[in-house]
Amino acid sequence: MMSAKIKTIERQGVSYDQRLFLIEVFKGMRVTFGHFFRNLLDNSKLYVRHYPEVKPEITPRWRGRHRLTTHEDGTVKCVACFMCQTNCPSHCISITAGERNDGRSEKLPVRFDIDLLECIYCGYCVEACPMDAIRMDTGIFSVVTADRQSVVMGLDKLLATPGAFTEEDYKKRGL
Amino acid sequence: MSPLDYLLVALRVAFGAFVPLCFVAVLVWMERRGAAFFQDRAGPNRCNIFGFRAAGLIQNLSDAVKLVFKEDIVPGHIPHKFYFILAPVLVFVTALISFSVIPFADTLVLGENSYVMQAIPLDIGILWFLACAGFSVYGIILAGWSSHNKYGILGGLRAAAQVISYEIPMGLALVSLLVVYGTVNLNEIARFQGQLLFGMIPAWGVILQPLGVILFIVAAFAETNRTPFDLAEGESEIVAGYHVEYSSMKFALFFMGEYVAMFVSSAIIITLFFGGYQIPWLATETLVAYAKPVALVLLVLLPVANYFFTGWIRRNNTSHYYRPNDPRVREANIYIRCFWILTGIVEIILLGLLLADTAPETIRIFVALLQMATFLLKTVAMCFVYVWVRWTLPRFRYDQLQKLGWQTMLPLSLVNIFVTSAVVVALS
Repeated sequence: MMSAKIKTIERQGVSYDQRLFLIEVFKGMRVTFGHFFRNLLDNSKLYVRHYPEVKPEITPRWRGRHRLTTHEDGTVKCVACFMCQTNCPSHCISITAGERNDGRSEKLPVRFDIDLLECIYCGYCVEACPMDAIRMDTGIFSVVTADRQSVVMGLDKLLATPGAFTEEDYKKRGL
Repeated sequence: MSPLDYLLVALRVAFGAFVPLCFVAVLVWMERRGAAFFQDRAGPNRCNIFGFRAAGLIQNLSDAVKLVFKEDIVPGHIPHKFYFILAPVLVFVTALISFSVIPFADTLVLGENSYVMQAIPLDIGILWFLACAGFSVYGIILAGWSSHNKYGILGGLRAAAQVISYEIPMGLALVSLLVVYGTVNLNEIARFQGQLLFGMIPAWGVILQPLGVILFIVAAFAETNRTPFDLAEGESEIVAGYHVEYSSMKFALFFMGEYVAMFVSSAIIITLFFGGYQIPWLATETLVAYAKPVALVLLVLLPVANYFFTGWIRRNNTSHYYRPNDPRVREANIYIRCFWILTGIVEIILLGLLLADTAPETIRIFVALLQMATFLLKTVAMCFVYVWVRWTLPRFRYDQLQKLGWQTMLPLSLVNIFVTSAVVVALS
């Protein structure tokens, strides 16, 4: 017989002193005042990161802005198989394939555009890629521009962005 | 009327009109920084003019600039545009004029003339406040109704129902208080609280009417639409309630009206229950008689207080991350210098008062200034309680609010009246 584990939740707000509100109110106010007073005396104890100056620590698992990887000789790894474009749930990738003459494969991307305004950073493109050509390991989490055109990442921008982690750390990210 | 009379009238009206307005900025700052500290955040601490952040007060300036220059929209679907524009004005003006009967110092006696230190020297005192506070909800109802918007209507309805149910316990709490004081004149009420009970405890309303304090403060919270009774603008349920259609300065008027109302109801709580402008154990005449010793104590205490205050500034006004030539340290040094200069000026004035052969008028003015400072200090402390409660308590549900008002506070306030009257009759 399976014995279900029963946990009885004690119902709050029933007893007379709780329905009186005031005692509980003062208890709550004591707690909040403790926080206020501690922070007022020494504001280095605030639980905040002073963001633009102090950046958060990004782990290799973090899905940041995309980049395209290259072989050791600098040629693009992407073979324009359209796996990422097909997989993309938000249709933010658009690839134009061209003929490849360096002997590595038959195709290569002539255009490779990622519209970051469309992208939902799900990482499906990275998972779909058979060549490990697209990665989201740049560690860039803040994409701010004044116009819509400059958030469309072209082939040259994707290739120029370096990864933020070593190959070893990236492999260990455990996906 | 002599020129002095005109001057004092102008000063009183200026105090009554501009102090609540100035304290809007202070209260908004207190609310934001206070909220942040209650929640272990930093609050507005970046906005600056040439690197001077004034502990975040500059943020108010930029907020004001934003609100002034935003587009002032009167939505096209609104049939009664006049009422739509009237509503924020009503909220703000009623909040502001209800401050005008609150005494901020005892009656100033200069030679043969005496001047009541209220913006409007009215005898009806507390009744004026009740009338204005009751009227300010018309602005909210009008705003909700004229917005021609579901959420607006709901917010207005909630505000109306809430104010009706909380005005009664508030009025009844006042009745028992007036039985004790025997007057509706706020200045006389404040003067009454300058007495001592059994020769040692100040006869403040909070000691004479412990239940009345709680009832009145709760009702005052409901009256000013502050948390935990702010369901007229419950943003999680009805977006922003009655001011959902308002933008720009019209919204700012609602916003400022809320803070002025908070300041005024703090002032009225202080005047009714916490001795008003009275310094504990030092009633006006005592203060006048012992003005020089008091000045001497201030002379000694002020630099000590400033020493600790500037130390606190030096410790806290720094960047909590690596920053070469931290500009905040430089900023803190300038603040500290300003505070020492200010202390120095006050010290010189106090020293002049101590050493010079002072006329009784000078002493009277000094006492009035001391009482004003006490009044403002107490009021700001009460405003802090408002902020404190706001960031501690969640909002009441609508039925809980009505239940508390009608089933708990109304019987309690009636009992309070009976007990108080019985005690007063028995003692007299």
